[in-house]
Parts: sequence; C-alpha cells; structure tokens
Amino acid sequence: MVAFSMRKVPNRETTEISHVLLCNVTQRVSFWFVVTDPSRNHTLPAVEVQSAIRMNRNRINNAFFLNDQTLEFLRIPSTLAPPTDPSVPIWIIIFGVIFCIVLVATMLLILSGIQQHRRKHKGPSEMEDTEDKCENVITIENGIPCDPLDMKGGHINDAFVTEDERLTPL
Amino acid sequence: MEKTRPLWATPLQFVFACISYAVGLGNVWRFPYLCQMYGGGSFLVPYIIMLVVEGMPLLYLELAVGQRMRQGSIGAWRTVSPYLSGVGVASVVVSFFLCTYYNVINAWAFWYLFHSFQDPLPWSVCPLNGNRTGYVEECEKASSTQYFWYRKTLNISPSIQESGAVQWEPALCLVLAWLVVYLCILRGTESTGKMEQLANPKAWINAATQIFFSLGLGFGSLIAFASYNEPSNNCQKHAIIVSIINSSTSIFASIVTFSIYGFKATFNYESCLNKVILLLTNSFDLEDGFLTANNLEQVKDYLASAYPSKYSEVFPQIKNCSLESELETAVQGTGLAFIVYTEAIKNMKVSQLWSVLYFFMLLLLGIGSMLGNTAAILTPLTDSKVISSYLPKEAISGLVCLANCAIGMLFTMKAGSYWFDIFNDYAATLSLLLIVLVETVAVCYLYGLSRFESDLKAMTGHALNWYWKAMWGGVSPLLIISLFIFYLSDYIITGTLQYQAWDAAQGQLVTKDYPPHALAVIGLLVASSIMCIPLVALGTLITRRLRRGDPDPAPVA
Repeated sequence: MVAFSMRKVPNRETTEISHVLLCNVTQRVSFWFVVTDPSRNHTLPAVEVQSAIRMNRNRINNAFFLNDQTLEFLRIPSTLAPPTDPSVPIWIIIFGVIFCIVLVATMLLILSGIQQHRRKHKGPSEMEDTEDKCENVITIENGIPCDPLDMKGGHINDAFVTEDERLTPL
Repeated sequence: MEKTRPLWATPLQFVFACISYAVGLGNVWRFPYLCQMYGGGSFLVPYIIMLVVEGMPLLYLELAVGQRMRQGSIGAWRTVSPYLSGVGVASVVVSFFLCTYYNVINAWAFWYLFHSFQDPLPWSVCPLNGNRTGYVEECEKASSTQYFWYRKTLNISPSIQESGAVQWEPALCLVLAWLVVYLCILRGTESTGKMEQLANPKAWINAATQIFFSLGLGFGSLIAFASYNEPSNNCQKHAIIVSIINSSTSIFASIVTFSIYGFKATFNYESCLNKVILLLTNSFDLEDGFLTANNLEQVKDYLASAYPSKYSEVFPQIKNCSLESELETAVQGTGLAFIVYTEAIKNMKVSQLWSVLYFFMLLLLGIGSMLGNTAAILTPLTDSKVISSYLPKEAISGLVCLANCAIGMLFTMKAGSYWFDIFNDYAATLSLLLIVLVETVAVCYLYGLSRFESDLKAMTGHALNWYWKAMWGGVSPLLIISLFIFYLSDYIITGTLQYQAWDAAQGQLVTKDYPPHALAVIGLLVASSIMCIPLVALGTLITRRLRRGDPDPAPVA
C-alpha cells in the first residue's frame, strides 16, 4: 500500500515494495517504516512520504476495512470531512415558514377586529333610533304623558337595593 | 353605568392563565439548581414552609385585590388610596423591564428549535478549522455545546464594554417571538385564556425568594388577571390551586433535571475513562482490550512501578475521572437550559425529536409567562380612559410590543448576554420585595383589614379564614422585611459586583468586575421602579394642596 502511494507521487513512479523497509514491528500491529530511494540509496524525507500517504489515506483505510480512528499514522493528521452545508441554511427555511404563518394569523385577527368595530358602530346608532321612535310613538299615541320609567335605563332596576343589604339585619 | 369589563369565559380559563403565568422557566432552571445547592430533598422543607407562610397568602391577596377593585394595578391601588397609585406604576415599570428581557429567552429557544431539524445536531459536532486537520480551537478547549451557545448563538464579546453590532440572526428570532406574543394578546383577555387551553439560613432565604418570584408576585399580572373575574369568583380556592400546581411543577421539573444530570454525568465519566484507556494503550503498546474500566487502577499501579520513567511522561495527561465531580457541576439559568440540556440531548437516540420537544416546551413556558407580563402592562393602559379613547386595543398592544422589541435589540448585540444577566439579576429582585411589602401594608393598614374582609365576604360569599388574616397582617410583612434587609446587606458586603465573561482563548468563563456605566444602569433599574412609589404619592399630595381643600373621594363601594 505504501509503495502504491509513493508511486502516485510525481518523480517517484518507480517505487517498489522492496524499497519500503519495516522495523520495530510489535504484537499490536504497529511498526515504523521508511521508504528508500534505490538510485541514491537514502531514505526519503518524512514530509514527502506523509503527503503521499495523506492523499491516499482513504484507499488504505478501505483496503483494511478500517477508518481514521482505528488506523493511525503517527504525525499524519487526518483530513476531516467537512459537514454538509446546504446552500440555504435549514433554520432560515423553518423560520420563514413559521414567520409567515404568524404574520398571516395576526393580519386575519386585526382585520376581523376592524370589521367588528365597524359593526358595533353601526349597531348602537340603529338601536338608539328605534328606541327614540318607540318613545315618540308612545307619547304620541297616549294623550296622557308616559310613566316616567325610562325605557333605555330598564336594565338596572332601581327597586332592588345594593348587594350590601342582601341580608336584612335581625 | 360603567362599561362592561370583559370577563373570563369560565373560571377554569382564569386558573389556566394564572398557572401558565406562574409556571415558567424559573421552575425548570432555577428550582433544580437550588435543590442541588442546598441539600437536595431537604430543600423541600424550607420551600414548602415558605410556600404556605408567604406564597399562598400573598398570591391570595393579589388575586383578591384584583377581583375586588376590578382594575389593573394602577387603578386598583388608586382605589385603595390615591397616594398609592405609585405602587401600581412601580409594578408596571418592573413588568416593562421584565417583558423587555424575558422575550429574549424565547428568541433563543426559537433559534435552537429551528436548528433542531438537522442531522447531526449543530451543537454535537465542532466545526473544522481552516486547513481541515482539526477542530476550531475555541471548540476544542470548551465543548461543542458551549461553542454553539457562546459563539454561534450569542457571538459573545470578551467583556461587557465591547458591545459590537446587533446580530441579525437572534434579532430575527426576537422579532418572531414578539410577533407570537402580539398574536396572543391581540384580542385581549379572551384570547389569552383560549391560547392556554391549545409551571443554614441561606437555604431558607433562597426558598422564600424562589417562592416569591416563582409565583410572579408584585408584577401586577395577577391583579390584572383577577380584575377580569366575576366578583363572586372563589379566588381563595384558585390561589391555593395555582400555588400548589406551581410548586408541583417545580418538583417534577427537578426530578427530570436530576435524571438529565445523571445521564450526562455517566456519559461524560465513561468517555473520560475511554480516553484514559486509549492513552495508556497507545503509550505502552498494550494489547487491545486488555485495559478495561474495572482493572484500570491496578494496571496503572503496575505500569507506574514497571516503567516509571515512561509513566511519569504520560502522567500529566491522565485525567482523574470521577463520577462525583461530574455530578457536582450545578448550573442554573441560561447555562442549564441551553448548555447542559443540549449536551445531554445530543447523546440520546433520535436526538432531533428530543431537541424539538424540549425547545417547544421551553417556548410554551416562556410565552405563557410573557402573556402574563404583557397583561400587567396592557391592563392599566387599556383601563386608563385617556389612552383607550384615542387608540383601539390592538393598536396599544402593537405599540407596546414594538417598543419592547426595539429595546430588546440591545440583547441581541455581541455583549447582549451580559446585559441580559444584569436585567435578570437586578431589574426585578429588590423592587418586587418593596412593592409587595407596600401592597400588603396598604391593604392591611391603610385600607383596613376588616374593611377588606367585609368586601371579600360581600363579593364571594365566604368568610375570611383567620389564617389569611394572621399571615397578611403579621407574618408575611415581617418575612418580606427580613428578606429585604438580607438582600441589602448582601449587596453591601459583597462590595463590587462581578459577572462571568466568556474567554474565547481559554474556552471558559472568567470573572470580571462591572464597569462604572454598567453599575449606573443597575442603580437606575432598581431606582426607577422603587422611586415611583414616593414620587407619585408626593405628586398626588402636591396636586391636592394646589386644589386646596378637595375632600378625599371615598373609594368605590
């Protein structure tokens, strides 16, 4: 795998498996390795090897069915996958929906309130006209003047005392 | 004949409105914190005693005053005595402050709610840094939930002096929150009820304070709600019901909160252990699966003795994981609601569902309380003939919402969270104690306890129990006076006031002193509401003297 990675690097296409040397192999499947350059007989600088491995990390992981957490290359930081960023943030969409619903409901309530106001203003003036007519009719029809009981004030019956004296004292 | 006052459709609607107002965010985030700080279950003892001795009597008093006077707070107190309408004005001022900052919490809840519809939840992962090799540094040092709260939601500045600009995202959410509140209060009382139908000595003092603020005494909202009652309504029964439900909700919420704490503590403890195991396995090339939570201690001792030099190298990085220290972390206020709970939620299965449900609950609690707060402001305004003759109800509500929204933009700036804490801690605490004290003394000694008693008897038909009389006359005022003295002495002894600022470089909160202009604002907040009482009394006295010899009008029977 390491040799394969090195072959992807320009000027290093001729790297063979035999050029990768292992050492310090432990029971826990960890080891050190170096890549040698056959023509000049020295080991390649770490930086080059690291960048090569980084580019092919995914393929190495998949070959062993491992991932970045279970297969670690010391001193090679893994490139993390960025979270998917939709073009329009989701929260604005939901905000827009709820905002429109609330706005529409508010408008409806305000409009129905205005309509009720208009109806109320027409209503009492009509009622007053009819009551006046009633009084006029009564006074005209009866030659005798009406009983002073006020038609409009008929809701309060002054005959009954206030609540305080509901219970008569003994 | 007076214009018929709108009434609640049923007494149940009134009870629901009161419950919705009283049960608020304080039940969720303040009561469990106090329980944890002051001994867990034993905190219930001072809490219940204070509920019975202070909470219920004062709640009953406010409801009875509202129902008897049938006006909002300003009119009600003017009826008790013309010199006392300052109390009503002070209530309205405090309610105004409360409205301004409280709806910001609803804005934050909306923000989190809208962000809950993503997979993965945005506060469960840290964003990546520039070259994509690791996470953003601030997020590494703190945690992803703290980063999301302090950076993405608040975009907080390092101190209160650096205000920064208004952040458009929380500003939009604030506008939406005010729109929702306006929608609910648009039609006045009738719509409010229907919406509800679709919460040592320090332990005692904190119990008293918690009861006091949890029930929402002194804001004028309860008077406003009760003023829409039929005079014959049995408000004594309702006072007891509302206070019991409020306290049961607090206790229930603390059960839930403690189980959330336990879940979060266990989860963090286990991840801490796993990190230590991984670190030791890597450093000493141990076999995978050799180290477990059970044999961790023995293996650590063995490694310390077998490879002392290597062990001492690794030792600084090994954290001492302890379940107790995880459980000790107690947080209250916005920290609990938006950091601890979200951290627990992100680790649950189907976290989107829990997140949506949780923030929806927060919103319901918050908006329910907001309706009570706005009622406290609107009822005196709509009662006053001067204003209501010019503008219809809808316009008054709209203007109030607009004014509060504009001022609330202050809290969406970068330093907004610090100003929020100022308002939260000082706008309503001291002033309310004084307001409720004056209310109690006024009803008992100025209006006359026996006169009030006969009024209530005529109104509801029930005689007043000796217990309420004893509480109103003696015990509750004394309690409030001692609470007041305690708070004053606490402020004086502590010296300079301090606050917690978020340090982005370290990824944690640091304590800083308030600058002079913030201290001035604090003083203004407290003074502006308290000063209303003597100022209005003085004003009434002066106008009386100027008229020369106008007899005191007798209060309406």
